[in-house]
Amino acid sequence: MKNELYSAEHLKYLRSVKKKNIFINVARFAILALLLLIWELSARFEWVNPFITSSPSRIGKTIAELYKNGTLALHVGTTLWETVLGFFIAVAVGYTVALVLWWSEITRKISEPYLVVLNALPKIALGPLIIIWCGTGSEAIVFMTILIGLIVAILNMLNGFMATDENKLLLLQSMGASKWQMLTKLVIPSSLPNFISMLKINVGMAWIGSIMGEYIVSKAGIGYLIVYGGQVFKLDLVMSAVFILCVLAGVMYALVALLEKIVIKNR
Amino acid sequence: MKEVLRFEDVSMHYHTKQGETVAVEHMNFSVGEGEFVAIIGPSGCGKTTVLSLAAGLLKPSAGKVKTDGCSFGYMLQKDELFPWRTIEKNILLPLEIKKTNTPDNRARALSLAEKYGLKQFLKNYPAALSGGMRQRAALIRTLAVDPDVLLLDEPFSALDYQTRLSVCDDVYRIIRTEKKTALLITHDISEAISVADRIFVLSKRPASVVATHSLEFGEAEPLKRRENKAFSGWFELLWRELNA
Repeated sequence: MKNELYSAEHLKYLRSVKKKNIFINVARFAILALLLLIWELSARFEWVNPFITSSPSRIGKTIAELYKNGTLALHVGTTLWETVLGFFIAVAVGYTVALVLWWSEITRKISEPYLVVLNALPKIALGPLIIIWCGTGSEAIVFMTILIGLIVAILNMLNGFMATDENKLLLLQSMGASKWQMLTKLVIPSSLPNFISMLKINVGMAWIGSIMGEYIVSKAGIGYLIVYGGQVFKLDLVMSAVFILCVLAGVMYALVALLEKIVIKNR
Repeated sequence: MKEVLRFEDVSMHYHTKQGETVAVEHMNFSVGEGEFVAIIGPSGCGKTTVLSLAAGLLKPSAGKVKTDGCSFGYMLQKDELFPWRTIEKNILLPLEIKKTNTPDNRARALSLAEKYGLKQFLKNYPAALSGGMRQRAALIRTLAVDPDVLLLDEPFSALDYQTRLSVCDDVYRIIRTEKKTALLITHDISEAISVADRIFVLSKRPASVVATHSLEFGEAEPLKRRENKAFSGWFELLWRELNA
C-alpha cells in the first residue's frame, strides 16, 4: 500500500511507532554513555579506587598496548578459534545424535537417564580429567567447549523433533511416506525455529566452555588474560579482557540472529 | 455399482498399559464407486478409527477391510498445509512422497488448482490465504495423486460457521465434478444430510453401524438441500437415532 492511501490517524500512529523506536535506541545508547561517564569520572577523581575498578580510558589504553605489542591478535585469535570450533562440533554432533534419538524410540528411552545425568553434571568437575586426557593445549579447551554445548544441543533439538505436529505426521503417513521422507519433508523443516534457538543458546555455551577451559589450563587466550590479570592484580587487564569478550559474544550472537532473519523470513 | 470399500465384520482393539479398549466391533458396510457416504456417530465413538482402518493406516484386530486395490486420499480437520512451502509445493507434496513427480502428473495437479481458482495463490505461502482457501488447497493436494476414494475426517469442523457452509459447498462440488467416491465422518448431522447419498449411523463405543439411510436429494448441492422440506425430517430422525 502507498503512503497517500493512509488516513491521517494512521499516519499519526506510524509516527508514534517510529518515535518510540527512536526513543528506545537513544535510551539504550544514553545508558551506556552515562555508565561509562560515571565510571570514568569516579575513577578519575578517585571516588573509588581506580586500581580496583579500572576505568574506560585505562581499558582503552590497555587494549591499545596489547595491540601494539602484538599479543592482542594472539589472545583473541586463540579464544575465538577454540570457541568457534567447539561451537560447530557441539552443534553438528548434537544435531546428529538428536536425529538418531528421534528415529529410534528404544535408543531414546535407553539413553534418557544418561542424558539427564550428563546434563545436570557440572562439566567443570571433569577439568582435571580433561587435562590428563587431552593435554594442556588448545585441545583440552575445545573439548571442554564441546562437552558443555553438546548435551544442551542434543536435548534442545530432540525437543524440537519430538514436537512435530502429530496431524502432519498422520497426513504424510496417509500419503504412504517412509520414515526418511517424514524426516526430510516435515521433521527437519518444521524444527528449524528450534535449530535457531539452539544455536543462540549454544553461542553462550561455547563462550562459557572456552573461557572455563582457559581458566583450567591455557597459555594464551582471553580467559588466560583474565586469570593472569587477576593473579598479578592487573585489573585493567581483567576488565579489558571482559570488554573484548562482550564484543565478541555480541558479534557471534548477532550473526546467528542474522541467519535467523534469512531462514525464517518465509514463515 | 462397483464396490470400492467393504468392511466385513471388522473389530478393532487398542492396547495401552491402562488396558484394552474396544473401539470398533462387528462393523459391516460397503461403499460403491462414485458414492458420497457420510458416517455420523456420537463423539468419541471411534469414527476416526474407521477412516484409519479404511486407509490401511491401522490393521483390524478381526475381520476384513476390502479395498479392491483402490487408492485413498486423506483430508483432515485442519488443512495441515506446510507453512514453509508455497501452495504450489504443498499441492505437489503427495507426488514427491509417492515419487511420481513427473511433468505430466505435475501438470495435472496444477491444472486442478487452476480449475478451482487457486492459480493466483500458487506462489503464496499458506499464511496469506483465508481458512476457506486453505481448505480448498488441502483438497486439491489430496486430489493431486488422483485417489479413487476420498476419506474426509471432519474437514470443516475447524472453520467458523459461515466459512464452513461455503467450504462444504465448495468441496462437495469439486468431489462431484471429479467424480470421486467420498467417505465423510462428522458429528454434524446437518452437514451429513447436506452432502451424502447415504448415511451410516454409528453406536456409542464400541462402534458398529446401527442404521443405514439412503437420501434422495440426487445431485442437489448442500445449500440447496438445506432449503429442501425433507431436510428437517431427516434431521429429526437422525437426531433420535444418535441419542437412542
